[in-house]
Amino acid sequence: MASISLHTAHSFPSSLHTQTPKPALSHNLPILSKSSQSQFHGLKLSNSSHLSVPSPVSAKSAVVAKVSEGTQAPSFTLKDQNGSSVSLSKFKGKPVVVYFYPADETPGCTKQACAFRDSYEKFKKAGAEVIGISGDDTSSHKAFAEKYKLPFTILSDEGNKVRKDWGVPSDLFGALPGRQTYVLDKNGVCRLVYNNQFQPEKHIDETLKFLKSI
Amino acid sequence: MAILPQRHPSRILNQIAPPTRIHTSTTAPPRPRRPHSSPLTLDPAATPRPPLPNDPTLRSNWSHRAWLASGCTTVLISLSKSVDAAAASHTYLEPILAALLGYVLADLASGVYHWGIDNYGGAETPVFGAQIDAFQGHHRWPWTITRRQFANNLHALARAVAFTVTPINLACGDATALAFVAACSGCIMFSQQSHAWAHTTRSKLPPLVAALQDGGVLVSRSQHAAHHRAPYNNNYCIVSGAWNEVLDASKFFEIMEMVIFFKFGVRPRSWTEPNTGWVEEAEAEATSLLS
Repeated sequence: MASISLHTAHSFPSSLHTQTPKPALSHNLPILSKSSQSQFHGLKLSNSSHLSVPSPVSAKSAVVAKVSEGTQAPSFTLKDQNGSSVSLSKFKGKPVVVYFYPADETPGCTKQACAFRDSYEKFKKAGAEVIGISGDDTSSHKAFAEKYKLPFTILSDEGNKVRKDWGVPSDLFGALPGRQTYVLDKNGVCRLVYNNQFQPEKHIDETLKFLKSI
Repeated sequence: MAILPQRHPSRILNQIAPPTRIHTSTTAPPRPRRPHSSPLTLDPAATPRPPLPNDPTLRSNWSHRAWLASGCTTVLISLSKSVDAAAASHTYLEPILAALLGYVLADLASGVYHWGIDNYGGAETPVFGAQIDAFQGHHRWPWTITRRQFANNLHALARAVAFTVTPINLACGDATALAFVAACSGCIMFSQQSHAWAHTTRSKLPPLVAALQDGGVLVSRSQHAAHHRAPYNNNYCIVSGAWNEVLDASKFFEIMEMVIFFKFGVRPRSWTEPNTGWVEEAEAEATSLLS
């Protein structure tokens, strides 16, 4: 199952990235590297190899930006729950936790949003901002945010363009949008990638732990 | 699959809509016709009521008995054919193991079916509508299952078994396969009885049944009680309950619900806060409405 979701994450290294692959990773085949696989029950990709082996699928597609540790996260502009346009670049200067979740008002996503809400003060204390992203529209986000009193921004990635751009892997043979969280530093460089579909609260624990360590 | 109504607290009053038919199935309590109510008021006379202890809908009739007899006959035919074939070929271990496997998988099948009808569809769903409606009524008035007479309680499953197992009995002569079929179908057919026992107070249970529950052979009262508490999304298996822990720990049903949601856009009922049509009414509270 992990190897299958790895295939969905395959891409050529983007020609737009100036980041060179780390020498220590050159001998690692990501297919065999446990740390680079998406799993249901949690995997920190902080030490992963992202010198991806191109798959036949990605060989046919255009070059796709993929956010991984050490790479600059591509900026985006999406609408938030109030319909206002929000750009990722607006948050430069402070760490940002960007979490991609499957959909509003599903059990796991609700638990995750409420967990981020309940720990929001801790994120603020660490100087970080939290942004949630799913493919739902702004009206869904508005209702979701109001119902659960979410204090942070949730963005509408209609068409899942940003999800694809960032290379968020799907789960279960593509049946489920993946649940993946990125921690970007104040320069917008990705420092942590955490994936866990069915233990959503762990995203909060792992990202907070990481923020405290940097 | 029908898009199910949301169980949203703010739409509780709006969801008590006038029924379009009188239930004749004895698996669900009849609901009286009532005039269309203003969405802001709740007509107490229109509130669905639990069946009285001697309600005809809880009693067995000859149709129920006939279906039960058919189901039992098909299971007994499978069993006897299996025994005959085993004796003729002197193979006993495989049929016995197959029967055990049938018992084990019946529990899994009961959970999957129960999850399906608890979460999807409604009274208007073809084929399954009556069962779905009955299970929703069961969640509201769970104790009524203990008041149902035997054939009344089992006839729907017995009918399904009769239709499913008869062609297998006609086509198959293998001892092992028939042992599996007999055990699996028999346990499925009697799952409503093990379900009823799981709702029965211990003092009213035959000692053997209580012992089988304690031993994990039949689903226990405590395990099944968890299914009747919020968030109503676990402990779906009702034969032995052996699969409940595995299915719940592995989030099997949550995974299925997510896949169905993303593939078909259908939300399961367990994702929404239950409305009054789902939440259990205490027996004393419900029956006091009738006085």
